[in-house]
Amino acid sequence: MKVQDSRFKVFAYLLFAILLSAGTASATLTAKANHDRITVDFFYHGSTVSVRGVSDPGTDLIVKIASPEGEQTLRQKGKVGGLLWMNVGKLVFERVPSLYFLESTKNLTDILSEEEMNKYVLGYSALEKHAEVTPVSSPAEREKWFDEFVSFKTASKLYATSYGKITTTREGDNQQYYILLDWPYQASPGEYTVSVYAVKNNKVVEQAETKVSVEQVGVVKSLATMAKSNAAVYGAISILAALGAGFGVGLIFRKGGGAH
Amino acid sequence: MYLYLPVALTSINILIPIGLGLAVGLLSGLFGVGGGFLMTPLLIMFGIPSTVAAATDSNQIVAASTSGTYAHWKVGNVDFKMGLYLLVGGFVGGLGGVQAIKLLRAMGNADFVIKMTYVLMLGIVGTYMFFESLASMRKKKTETSKPAKESGLSKFLKSLPMQTHFEKSGVTHSALIPIIFGSFVGVLAAVMGVGGGFLMVPVMVYILRMPMHVVVGTSLFQILFNCIEVTFLQAYTNHSVDFVLAVLLLIGSTFGAQVGAVFGRKLKGEQLKIILAVIVLVVTVKIVYDLTASPSLLLSMGGGH
Repeated sequence: MKVQDSRFKVFAYLLFAILLSAGTASATLTAKANHDRITVDFFYHGSTVSVRGVSDPGTDLIVKIASPEGEQTLRQKGKVGGLLWMNVGKLVFERVPSLYFLESTKNLTDILSEEEMNKYVLGYSALEKHAEVTPVSSPAEREKWFDEFVSFKTASKLYATSYGKITTTREGDNQQYYILLDWPYQASPGEYTVSVYAVKNNKVVEQAETKVSVEQVGVVKSLATMAKSNAAVYGAISILAALGAGFGVGLIFRKGGGAH
Repeated sequence: MYLYLPVALTSINILIPIGLGLAVGLLSGLFGVGGGFLMTPLLIMFGIPSTVAAATDSNQIVAASTSGTYAHWKVGNVDFKMGLYLLVGGFVGGLGGVQAIKLLRAMGNADFVIKMTYVLMLGIVGTYMFFESLASMRKKKTETSKPAKESGLSKFLKSLPMQTHFEKSGVTHSALIPIIFGSFVGVLAAVMGVGGGFLMVPVMVYILRMPMHVVVGTSLFQILFNCIEVTFLQAYTNHSVDFVLAVLLLIGSTFGAQVGAVFGRKLKGEQLKIILAVIVLVVTVKIVYDLTASPSLLLSMGGGH
C-alpha cells in the first residue's frame, strides 16, 4: 500500500510539472542536427549539416557551431628591411575554437546587445575579447592580428558568419526553423557543439544544444592511427612501397622496350 | 575524383597529385634532381599542410629516384663508386647542417638566413649553368675541339692525396673531393630543407668534371638513399608522411622518371644543362616575387621550411 502511495505521489508531481511547463510550452526551444555523426572515409569531400527545431514565434535565432576551445600557434609574416616578406615570429592564439560558424536570422548587432554577445561569445568581436593573443605589444596590434587570424581561418573555410540563411515557418503557436550549412572537409575529426540561442529585446532568452561529431572510419582511420602510434612500421611500409613501385615501373618499361 | 588524405586531413582531386608527380618525375629522370624545390611549394599551394608536403614529397622521391636510377643503370649511366663517396659526404654534411639550423634558430634569424641562402644558391647555380652551357653550345658550333686549359682549381684538386679512378665517369680524383663537396651540399640541403639535387648536379658537372649523362644517373642514386633516410625520420619523429598522397604522387612520378630518362638520352649534355638552368632561374624569380609581393594572409601554419 505504501509503495503504491509513493508512486502516486511521483506521478502527481510529474503531472504537475508537465502542466506547469505546458503554460510556457511555446517558448521551449529545441535543436536537432541531421547529422550527429559525420564519417570520414576515402571518398569524403565534406558534408552538409542541417539544424532544425522549434522556437517561440516572437524571437530571433542565432545558431553557433564551434569546436572546443584550444590553443593555436601560427607563423607570423612581416617585412624585413622594409622590402622582404618572411616569417618573423610566432603568435599563440589561446581560447579559440578551431572551427566557428555563426548564423543568425538578422544582423547580429541589430538583435543583440554587446554585453550579451560577449557573455555568450557570439561574433568575432566577442571572440576577440574572449581570446588571448601573445605576444602583442598594444591593443591595436592585438586587434590587427586577431583580424588576420579570422582571415586565415576564413580562407581555410573554418570560420564563417552570416545572417538571413535561417528559414522560419509558423506552425500553430510555434515557429519551426531550419538551416542547411556546408560542412568543410578541412574540419578535423572531433566533436562540435551546435548551440541555438533565442533572442528577444537584445537579450538571449533561451538556449538549446546538440552535438555533431566527425569521425574517421575504415582504412582512413587505420592509416591515421598507424602513422601516429606505430610510426616506425608506418615509415618502413611507406619506403618499401615506394621502392617497390619504382622497381615495378622500371620493369614494366624494360618489357615495353623503354620507349613511350 | 576526390580522395581524402588521412594524415594531411584534407581532400584532394586525385588528378592533381598524379599530374604533379608526372611532371616532377619527368624532370627527375631528365636532370637527376629530386624536384623537392618544385613539388613542396606546389603541394602547399593545393592546400596540403607544409610539414606534410615536405615529408610526403621525400617519400615520393624514393619511388621516382628508384625508377630513374634503374632506368639509367640499365644503360650504364650510374657511377656507384662516386655515388657512395658523395653519400658519405652528404651524410656527414647533413648532420652538420642540422646543428647549423639549431644554432640559427637560437640566434633568432633562421628564416632570413635560410631564405637568403636558398635564393642565392638557386640564383648563382642557375645563372652560372645557363651561361656556361650557352657558351659551350656556341663553342661547339664555331671551333673544333681545343685542349681545355687547366684551371688553378683543377691543378689543386690533382695535387691532393688518395687519388682514385672513377671508371664510369672516366675521371681521376682524390677520394676526398666527392666527400668534401658532398658534405658541403649536405650542409646546405639540411639548412634549406631540400634534397639538394640542384646543387649536387652542378658540383658533379663543374668540379668533378663528370659527363652529364652519368651525372644524372649518379645523382638519382644518391638522392634515393638520402630520401629513404629523410622519409623514415619524418615518419618516425614528425608523423607527417601521408601514405595515400605519396602513392598518388608516385603513380605519376615513377612513370615520369622513366619517360624522362628515355627522353634525356636523346638530348645533348649542354641542352640538358641549359633547360635545368632555366627551370632553376624561373624558380628563383618566383621565390623572389613571393618575398617582395604583399601576401594576402599574414599568418600561416607552422612547420615546413
